[in-house]
Amino acid sequence: MSATTEKADKPGLAVTTVALLVVVFLQIPVVVVVLAAFSTTSYLTIPPQGWTLQWFAKVLSDPTYLSAIRMSLILAFGSTAISLVLGTAAAYALFRKAIPGSEAITSFLMAPLILPAVVIGVALLQYFSMTGLRGSLFGLLMAHVIITVPYIVRSALASLSGLDLAVEEAARVLGASGFEAFRLVTLPLIAPGLVAGALFAFITSLDNVPVTIFLISASQTTLPVLIFSSVEMGVDPSVAAISTLLIVATGIILLIAERRAGFHRFV
Amino acid sequence: MMKTRTGLMLIAPLALVLAGFFLVPVLMLLPTSFGEYLPGSGMTPGVWTLENYTRIVTDDYYLEVIWRTLGLGLFVTLACLVLGYPLAYLIARGPQSWRVPLILLVVFPMMLNLVVRSFGWIALLTNRGLVNNLLIDLGLISTPLKLMFNLTGLMIGLTHIYLPFMVLMLVAAIQNVPRDVESAAATLGSSRIHVFTSVTLPLSAPGILAGSILVFVLTISALVTPRMLGGPTYKVMATVIYDEYMQLLDWPSGSALSFTLTFMAIAVIWLSSRLTKRWAGMA
Repeated sequence: MSATTEKADKPGLAVTTVALLVVVFLQIPVVVVVLAAFSTTSYLTIPPQGWTLQWFAKVLSDPTYLSAIRMSLILAFGSTAISLVLGTAAAYALFRKAIPGSEAITSFLMAPLILPAVVIGVALLQYFSMTGLRGSLFGLLMAHVIITVPYIVRSALASLSGLDLAVEEAARVLGASGFEAFRLVTLPLIAPGLVAGALFAFITSLDNVPVTIFLISASQTTLPVLIFSSVEMGVDPSVAAISTLLIVATGIILLIAERRAGFHRFV
Repeated sequence: MMKTRTGLMLIAPLALVLAGFFLVPVLMLLPTSFGEYLPGSGMTPGVWTLENYTRIVTDDYYLEVIWRTLGLGLFVTLACLVLGYPLAYLIARGPQSWRVPLILLVVFPMMLNLVVRSFGWIALLTNRGLVNNLLIDLGLISTPLKLMFNLTGLMIGLTHIYLPFMVLMLVAAIQNVPRDVESAAATLGSSRIHVFTSVTLPLSAPGILAGSILVFVLTISALVTPRMLGGPTYKVMATVIYDEYMQLLDWPSGSALSFTLTFMAIAVIWLSSRLTKRWAGMA
């Protein structure tokens, strides 16, 4: 091959420079929030005027924040677990072509991704007001299942599509029951894809404002909704401190997922 | 082959949850959008009207908000394309060892809480924020630029939020372009730019369309970032819906606007799938 063909599809210096600037642009707000969290002033300043950990101490001793964090974690773990079971079961049945109309059913299962989140929020607000579920943990949990389950169905279907049915049939021939064959053969094979899907589901739940904000009760809020309403009241470094904790947690989760499951293959 | 009964038992739980907590609530919103708003108490019982919808297409305020929402969607999509393509190209065609770190640096902000990212932009863009302070210190401006509560702020914030989605779609698209076609064009004497515009760009067009549709639909549906960076005055469709429900308690108008927004999102997705099918037919 000549030098021209070698060079033809390599990004040049200009493209590389622009691309790296875009990467920097993507990290800017993250860096700003982390720096602001350590400032000694009671308003946001960057670079910080002196360094302190007082905002972290303030946030972590504030019962409002602690109960919001607890609520967010309950919803995220709860809805991810429910979605994982329901979504994997449904995807498996679709994959085995057990019932007719699987394409239409798949579209129905993915529909919550297409509808604007704010519309799902107001629809559930009206529905929960009529049925008395407004502000209940059960209602919130079901709302979070609705918005997280498409990610599980999608990743389960994607993992299953690469699977050879003969492996499971072999297990059946050797005497395993249908469920045993799934649990011992299929499940381990699709596990990495499911982990990636579960991670997306967990983060989607933890991140959600546009549905949750319509459904929470006055006394019990979630962390992103609390930050959202604190910012409307005015910005101070304790918001930056709690945000920094979220940034660190997200970073750690992402690195673990990459080390354990090669996460970048699933995005 | 799995038995139909087993299949039904596996699918039924999820189908029931989706029917009960998604399909029925959305369908029950439909009658509300034809109701009449009664200030203070909600809806006049037994009255059906089209007024909530006619107001959306005739009232100047609603029209301004709708055009602003669509314009914002268009601008943000273009900005994501222009900024995203070089980065996607570098990830797809750059040094192999850069690939995973770059993907992780794109995914990290995407996984990060939306509220946190929007909050970061508030710290950067307010009158006494980092950007204005920097420009004043450099002597480039004397009074702070207005970067928030207007189109500029929303453009910057939303572009940042949806750029990772675009980049990931484009990486997949560029990887699908067969490299021998590019090499062939180059061997036949095409310049680098010509190879790009006549081979790489057209062959990655389906991915460009898919990424653009995704970013456009996400942008016109966005609530959190427009609310945080637009404040209570500079509104888009989603924030008007929010206010009508939470502050004015005007559920009929809010639900009519909700269905208008849903219709716009679905129409865009439907049009693009038609377009993709026609392209596939031509190839």
